[in-house]
Amino acid sequence: MSYTLRGRLESRLAAAAVPLAVAIAWSAAGQEWWPLELAALMLAVGLVLDAGAYHRLLPYQPAWAALPLGALELACVMGLVFALGLPAPLEPAVAFFFLSWLWAQVLAHAGLPLARLEYAEDGGELGRAGVPLGLAVALVLVAAGGVAWFTRPPTVHLEGVVQGPLALDHAQTLVGGVVRGGIVITADDVTVRDVTVVGGDNAIEVRDAHDVHLDGVRVLGATEDGIQARQSSVHLEDCVVDAAPGTQGIDFSFAMHDGMSMIEDCVVHGGDVGITMHTMMGDIAGNVVVGARHHGIEMTEMSMGKVERNEVRDARDTGIYCGDHSVCEVEHNRLVRIGGPGIKAYYYSGAELKENTFVDSPRATHSSDSTLTR
Amino acid sequence: MSARIAIAGSGLAALVAHATLRAGGIPAGEIAVLGDDADPAATWRVRAGAIRQTHMRSESDGHPYPRTFPGLAAREAWRTYDPWPLLLSAADRYRPSVRTFLDAVDRVREASSWDESFVPTRISRVEVRDAGFVLDGRGPFANVLLALGHPGLAWPDGRDARYVHAYEPHEYARKVAVIGAGMAAATEWRNARADGAEVVSVRRREPVLRPLNLPRPFFTKRGLDEYRSGDRAVFLRAFSAPSYPEELQLDVDVASDVPDDAETVVCATGFLRGYRNDALLAALADEYGLETDDQWLALDDDATVPALTDATRTLALSGVHAQWAFPAADTLAGMRWVAHRFLRRCRTR
Repeated sequence: MSYTLRGRLESRLAAAAVPLAVAIAWSAAGQEWWPLELAALMLAVGLVLDAGAYHRLLPYQPAWAALPLGALELACVMGLVFALGLPAPLEPAVAFFFLSWLWAQVLAHAGLPLARLEYAEDGGELGRAGVPLGLAVALVLVAAGGVAWFTRPPTVHLEGVVQGPLALDHAQTLVGGVVRGGIVITADDVTVRDVTVVGGDNAIEVRDAHDVHLDGVRVLGATEDGIQARQSSVHLEDCVVDAAPGTQGIDFSFAMHDGMSMIEDCVVHGGDVGITMHTMMGDIAGNVVVGARHHGIEMTEMSMGKVERNEVRDARDTGIYCGDHSVCEVEHNRLVRIGGPGIKAYYYSGAELKENTFVDSPRATHSSDSTLTR
Repeated sequence: MSARIAIAGSGLAALVAHATLRAGGIPAGEIAVLGDDADPAATWRVRAGAIRQTHMRSESDGHPYPRTFPGLAAREAWRTYDPWPLLLSAADRYRPSVRTFLDAVDRVREASSWDESFVPTRISRVEVRDAGFVLDGRGPFANVLLALGHPGLAWPDGRDARYVHAYEPHEYARKVAVIGAGMAAATEWRNARADGAEVVSVRRREPVLRPLNLPRPFFTKRGLDEYRSGDRAVFLRAFSAPSYPEELQLDVDVASDVPDDAETVVCATGFLRGYRNDALLAALADEYGLETDDQWLALDDDATVPALTDATRTLALSGVHAQWAFPAADTLAGMRWVAHRFLRRCRTR
């Protein structure tokens, strides 16, 4: 068909109506926003490509072109999903896209030509229904955005020093201040930003919670771990952890089936182990770990992930340890004055090494049951 | 007669218009189809048979149904439980067979109750009245569509007894010259060669290879906007040059004049062009001083005659004479385009 620009946009909006409705129902039923965010993103990508590329490049669009154009849109949408950090799981998101695309094809090739005699010859325009349809879709998106805005988790600003421990058992954003005695997070969608935590068993403890963001936190004086997460998915960034001897700086464990976790751009000082992951899918990137008594960074107990762009200094034993059936990509790290091996793969583990720098440190080693790949 | 809508002509354009009106909810009794043959494909059938045409040039939506979907490819796939026609159509490679097309004509004729509306008569004159239009004393009709078809066959000058027209039944001698370079000519090269004849193509220009009569965007509003913003007569003249799809290309001897030893000369020269060659339209234009440009009646963008159409009555053209409004008006898609606009006017008055 030879679409007019208006025809492309109106056909796109018409095709988006049902997926939007499904996404709204899905979001409402599942109490999660990603289906609606995904549907809105699909519509936005489609409209931008319609106006910016397809109209100029495709004066005539044969039916087969729907396949490569659909693949292009899928790539754009999923790229944006990752870039924007939307919490959309891959398989349901791709399935939702595919079904929406299929519905759009059925509508463009059969539904709309049946409903409107002039549909094809008018280049996909919907006549008098076009403008109301556009307004309706815009209204739905604005309404959904409004609901999202007004139902978003509350933001709590802490002033001065607050005596803890604080229990965060519902979605919220906690900003600023100093908490004595620790924070315990047991709810999904919690964000803690620019908070200093002093003392507590674990200064920050996360339990069975997902989509938790810890951003710019500072912890010291914990009697066990500085930051500890169990069976949770956590994104930790820009933190400072001061760990006492006999404790661990950051310990994320036992969440192999809870999605990816991330520890990045943190500074960890002291502790027996600086950063450790047990039975996790996660990345450890861009951190500085200083003065660990045992291992600087650990990825162990069947963990999988990347350890990259970290600097480990003055660890008494191993700089980066990949152990116990774990699979680790160890890249672009800097190991300085490490007492034992700079990098070690141990007990049926595999470490893939790339461009790591060793300064006054022994190089990588592995046990006979493990492998190092360079 | 209680009909308020008249279609002058009973060919394919009339059938498409009738089916569209019926799909738009207008009862068959309110429509009079005034023509000389109850079979809407009667003329077309003879011409297609004459050139031994097996497949259409048009694609899946080259059909007489009022809606583009389901097209002939979808119907054939449904009927045969074979998705191949749909896959071909997705790649713009589907060419329905003549049999498939004629079957569709018969189905539309039956489904639209065409025979209830058909009145056997040939219209030769349109008179304008306040209440509408009187056609050879019948009426008045508030809404009239002139679906008159091609004015007649075009013949080259200086023909003799060897000359036959491609669109009239004919045989092939041992040596055949085919005049023309369009769809019919390309078909006739194959026909004559299949009959064992030596074939010479007589033409003055190289053939234009094009899948459809016009580039595809001109079948929709997108191309129409471009067409309407330019010089329509120049455009129509440029695209009236003969063309055919690449798959019909055949290497044959070429001559600029008819060889003396050609025993059969097939004139694949198409049809007479222009409203002047149609007695009804020529008289209408002269009597009411209608605006014209070269060989075309200047129509409004909905294929109506502007001087004779107002809020109370509609006079519209379909088929080749509506090219001023829609350059592909002589195709089935073009006939449907006109029919949709005619329906819109009939619904409101």
